[in-house]
Amino acid sequence: MKLVTKERKEYLISLSLSIIISLLMGGVIMLINGKSPIVGYGALLDGAFGSKFKIANTLAKTAPLVMTGLATAIAFNSGISNIGGEGQLYLGAFAAALSGIYLSFLPKSISIIAVILIAGIVGGLYAFIPGILKVKFKVNEVVTTIMFNTIAILFTSYLVNNPFATSDSKMSGTDIIASSFQLDKLVSLTTLNSSIYYVALIVILMYYLMNKTSNGYEFKMVGQNGLFAKYGGVKSGKTMMIAMVISGAICGITGAFEVIGVHYRFLEKISPELAFDGMLVALVVKNNPIGIVAMGLFFAAMKTGSIYMETATGIPSELVKVIQAVIILFIAGENGFKSIYINWKLNRESIKEEN
Amino acid sequence: MEDYILELKNITKKFPGVVANNDINLNIKEGEIHAIIGENGAGKSTLMNILYGLIKPTSGKIIHKGKPVKFNNSLDARDCGIGMVHQHFKLVPSFTVWENITLGVEVRKNKIFVDEKKSLEYISDLSKKYGLEVNPMDRVEFLSVGIQQRVEILKALYKGADIIILDEPTAVLTPQETDELFVVIKELVKDQGKTVIIITHKLREVMAISDRVSVMRRGEMIDTVNTKDVDENRLAELMVGREVLLDEVARDKIDSSEVMMEVKDLYARNNLDMLAVRGMDLKLKKGEILGIAGIEGNGQSELIESLTGLRDIAKGEIYISGEKIKKINPLSMRKHGVAHVPEDRLSMGLSKDATIMENLLMGNQNKKEYRGKLNHLKKKNVRSMSKKLIADFDVRTPSEDVLIDNLSGGNMQKVVIAREFNFNTPILIISQPTRGVDIGAIEFIHQEIIKKRNEGVAILLVSAELDEIFRLSDRIVTMYEGRMTGEFKPSEITRQEIGLYMTGKTLREEE
Amino acid sequence: MFKDIFNLALLQHTIRTATPLILAAMGGLLTQEAGILNIGLEGMILLGAFFGVVGSFFFGTSAMGVGFAVLSGIIIGLIFAFFVIDLKSDEFVIGIAINMFAGGLTVFLLRSIFGVKGAFSSPKIIALPRINIPILDKIPILNTLLNNHTIFVYVSWILVVLIYIYLYKTAQGRWLRASGEYPEALETAGISPRKMKYIASIMCGILCGLAGAHLSLGYLKLFTEQMSANRGFIAMAAIIFGGGNPIRTALAALLFGFFDALGIRLQAVGIPSQITQMIPYGATVVALVVMTKRKINQTRVKREQINE
Repeated sequence: MKLVTKERKEYLISLSLSIIISLLMGGVIMLINGKSPIVGYGALLDGAFGSKFKIANTLAKTAPLVMTGLATAIAFNSGISNIGGEGQLYLGAFAAALSGIYLSFLPKSISIIAVILIAGIVGGLYAFIPGILKVKFKVNEVVTTIMFNTIAILFTSYLVNNPFATSDSKMSGTDIIASSFQLDKLVSLTTLNSSIYYVALIVILMYYLMNKTSNGYEFKMVGQNGLFAKYGGVKSGKTMMIAMVISGAICGITGAFEVIGVHYRFLEKISPELAFDGMLVALVVKNNPIGIVAMGLFFAAMKTGSIYMETATGIPSELVKVIQAVIILFIAGENGFKSIYINWKLNRESIKEEN
Repeated sequence: MEDYILELKNITKKFPGVVANNDINLNIKEGEIHAIIGENGAGKSTLMNILYGLIKPTSGKIIHKGKPVKFNNSLDARDCGIGMVHQHFKLVPSFTVWENITLGVEVRKNKIFVDEKKSLEYISDLSKKYGLEVNPMDRVEFLSVGIQQRVEILKALYKGADIIILDEPTAVLTPQETDELFVVIKELVKDQGKTVIIITHKLREVMAISDRVSVMRRGEMIDTVNTKDVDENRLAELMVGREVLLDEVARDKIDSSEVMMEVKDLYARNNLDMLAVRGMDLKLKKGEILGIAGIEGNGQSELIESLTGLRDIAKGEIYISGEKIKKINPLSMRKHGVAHVPEDRLSMGLSKDATIMENLLMGNQNKKEYRGKLNHLKKKNVRSMSKKLIADFDVRTPSEDVLIDNLSGGNMQKVVIAREFNFNTPILIISQPTRGVDIGAIEFIHQEIIKKRNEGVAILLVSAELDEIFRLSDRIVTMYEGRMTGEFKPSEITRQEIGLYMTGKTLREEE
Repeated sequence: MFKDIFNLALLQHTIRTATPLILAAMGGLLTQEAGILNIGLEGMILLGAFFGVVGSFFFGTSAMGVGFAVLSGIIIGLIFAFFVIDLKSDEFVIGIAINMFAGGLTVFLLRSIFGVKGAFSSPKIIALPRINIPILDKIPILNTLLNNHTIFVYVSWILVVLIYIYLYKTAQGRWLRASGEYPEALETAGISPRKMKYIASIMCGILCGLAGAHLSLGYLKLFTEQMSANRGFIAMAAIIFGGGNPIRTALAALLFGFFDALGIRLQAVGIPSQITQMIPYGATVVALVVMTKRKINQTRVKREQINE
């Protein structure tokens, strides 16, 4: 039996309001552009869920958002801001590609697990560095992880253009990975592949870890009030490090899925800021794992739907990015808006009283 | 009435749920040193912030030199010649002394530029005039606390203050620095005709420096007296008060010969790296409540944090049941059977973003009863434990899923006490158990503490409320400036006598 | 080969590439000094670049381009300030949201206004004027190096000095720094830290707008998707590298500009550019660690010893 607390109710109201207002703003923009919002949003919805292919594409886009969203959630929940998901993702993806090329002798039964492990370890290690710098030396992790992002992207870009460049085409990519490493596509002509099962498993594991276990409880307490956690006997530095490494590992695995599930090779710009999008998904739902799945689906649906909307109605697909950014702004300002509202109410009441 | 430079009339300040100042009257004479004393939470700081324009009173009047004034911000107060030296200095660390002194009131050239040369000249004149030596080019962050305070005083003088409010000025000073400060204050008053208001809870200092003293307690002004007409005991009595007369609590006779916790020659530093505990020896026995009496800020907090592993020990040893504790950290101390009710429930005792249930779980999350094989929390057990504790400790709440932030102070405190008592440890360390708690809850908490004692638990109790110490303790130890100054049975000593030990007097006499 | 890479043109190129970095870094420095870590620089530059093109295209003067860029900077600076200062939102969440917002909005508008995808260029876009300093014409090396740049190159240099003077020599600059380091000190001095933070955010928006205008109207006369290309983050790195000092920040930006220019040249002769491009980020992490450690050591006060 779970009670819906007052806070959760208020938050759900804020979230719905934010989404509605943002969508309305999007509608107004459509009108200014001389397009009907009803037609526009209809096309968006159709594009996201209108057919088997469309649904498959939406699901395929949901997976990385949910993964990186969960990665963000576990770190932020524990009081460490991992903005380095993008870099961890790139390194994980690259490690996966290398495994797929050089460990081609592995049978399919082990290969997938091996590649997930390797990518996870690589991503985790890359998160470990900014983590330890924060915990031991108090170096601001926001800045270091941002820097680490670009370093990883440039580093893999170097590798993929030079020592590991493929010889069979001019693209900046590695060779194709061995077939034993390639995940099957579930719906042909879409990018939906069997990594979605692994993603589902990871979602369940993460939900279990964050919401059901004593470790999850400790993560949360360290994030909420470090002194309280310390007083209660929790080792906060260690807890933060574990959360950071898990976060990095999930990002690394996300990268691996892009390689073994979608492209079958590492490409120079393999991620269109997936980790950033995932982070925003997590922020909007305040790091709640179930919320991340729902919001990830919502964001992904907007993404796939927008492309159809563009071809069908001529409304540029980037409109949804604007809408998403506005949702995030509203949610980030939620508490501020609330307190302004409360102060305004108090003021009005006190004026009433005086009269 | 003409000789009052400043009068506060019927000042009341209400915060949501609290009356911080209730109908306060205070008169300040020109050219006097006026001390305002009271325990933490007595409302001194609120009153001074009203006087400095940082807080607006709910009702009441301020009269400056016979004229009613309204302070909307600190600039208005400054215009009336009021300057304030805050307890936590308001200095920008990376700025130099002169930059800090002139901040906000810069000497300018061409309207926008700061005239460094003129500023320096001005400040060196000022520092000569008042005998406050500083090097204006030093960066503040590298200065000692004493010098930083001097900069703060200069800042007030630079801005033309005639009335200087000093908020707990000696709290962060060494004894030598304190002596130097007092010389400065006396000169300011005697030679320069300034008026000084000093807020403190150190009675010895009040006696040493002030002309008159106003005593505050629980948001009210108790009395204003001439310093020469009173002694420290009288002041301590006024400050601590005795209006909460509760019944005696039943205590069983039990054998308390076994020493549960022993502390040998303990030293600990405060956050400023100064020694706050200077060689404490304690023996805490089974089935007794050992009360530590002392004016706040004499090392009690640091002592408690050292004993619970929250603060590194500079020197000394801790034994539990005769065994020397090698690794001292919060987890190990808890494992050795020490539970802890901290003095500040909001910063340490609770997570206010968490529910009651989550707050009750802290420290239990890795126990077999609540954690399964796959590290999963046995929510059922956690919930039933929560429900039981909420009922047992009379926490007033609709459910265990309510965020702790929605509870009153008393109910929050009950949650902390419920959790810590529920560990059933042989040792309990309790600090300020009833601070900011209503009378009903106080009575309840006291009963629970006695119950624990009757069960044979060894309890170390720190409280700023002398009444609480007397009511609960089997044995009282007084603490002054990080040292133990005496040990008594509550029946063998009066509150007046204990005041002497709390102010360190007897120790000096014995030396 | 060495001469092909390390020559005057490289330095001239450095000056060019460093200019938007310097401008954006000056903006970020102001918010940094006011106590706000602004990772929305990237988006602010991008908006400036886009609206610079809009203004220039529709009004046929580069001045209007700059005006539009500045206006976009003011608006985004205000939005940033409102959320971070008044609504007390997480500054980096807002920063990221602004980057996302700018990325989406510019491409959206690119298509709804100009009807193109990816990039837009037109002869109707008027570039920023180039400044010819006649005296330099006769001095061979300095002429190639310093002459005939667009106006913003010189503006950025002057700005560095002006911002240095502003922060360290004027009363308001001091207040701005105090508002970041210890707002309570400023507040008790009767000056609103909020106002200072607003000023910093708006100036940051304006400077990023200028940086963007330089990108789109300086040499290329075009706007492309994501044309800020990480410059906001490099500018942030320069700020951290410069340790809060405008002169050192500008030098760091110049250095990072050099690596960028060098990378492009190395690429041309077949040496991967990524390695040189990585240097700013790596160096910043190292610098940050060193500075944080030094700060902790500095603030440690003398320990009182135990007298036995």
